[in-house]
Amino acid sequence: MKQHIVLHLIAKMLIPFIMLFALYVQFHGDYGPGGGFQAGVIFGAGVILYGIILGKEMALQVVPIKLVHTLAAVGVLLYTCVGVAGMLLGGEFLNYNVLLSDPVAGQHIGILLIELGVGITVASVMISLFFSYSMYQHPDGPENN
Amino acid sequence: MGTVFEFGSFNYWIVIGLMMTGLYIVIAANNYVKKIIGLNIFQTSVFILYISIGKVSGGTAPILTGQPETYSNPLPHVLILTAIVVGVATTALGLALIIRIRSAFGTIDDHDVQETSQDN
Repeated sequence: MKQHIVLHLIAKMLIPFIMLFALYVQFHGDYGPGGGFQAGVIFGAGVILYGIILGKEMALQVVPIKLVHTLAAVGVLLYTCVGVAGMLLGGEFLNYNVLLSDPVAGQHIGILLIELGVGITVASVMISLFFSYSMYQHPDGPENN
Repeated sequence: MGTVFEFGSFNYWIVIGLMMTGLYIVIAANNYVKKIIGLNIFQTSVFILYISIGKVSGGTAPILTGQPETYSNPLPHVLILTAIVVGVATTALGLALIIRIRSAFGTIDDHDVQETSQDN
């Protein structure tokens, strides 16, 4: 779709704001509507829009498929690590109160890290779903596809 | 105007409209991708139905403050959060199945697939 100059320019203008909005939804999730699921999908949508407009080759240069797969696991790992850290510090699994000396501050940092893990995983899975479909090669060859 | 036409039932009218739209698309569309889109619209209507049921008018978020308060039922909302995630996974699975149908039959049209499978 590189020949569509209007689409190309509008997408280029919108993608930074989409990603900024994703970060807002992610980190404002403590106080307002939002959280990891929504932010991850919005962030993934930004990358997917880039892939649709500029082609999957350009998108793969920005986010290599190996990086996406690694990040999908890193998010789950971050989630689990926060849970296990609560156990090591003397609480139950996912007990945020013991993370810092102040229970309220501990709850803030706990939910922030948990949601960050969720957001990273959801964004990576969305992007990898898009790549999986767009990189599918038809057995008869691309001309019949 | 009876009670069913009051603004309070607005959500449920939207639910009925979306649900019937989705059901019609699932039945009437021959293209498998359109069938998946119909299923997604149907699914959205179920989400709105559950979220509307969970809302208690005048209710707050279900956070303990020490004094008795009216709060919205959080269970349907959590249930639907999970259902949205499951919905993405089932849509991806459906699209993957359509890709396999396309490789096997060379078409994603319902009638053509049935004709091809009867010929063989």
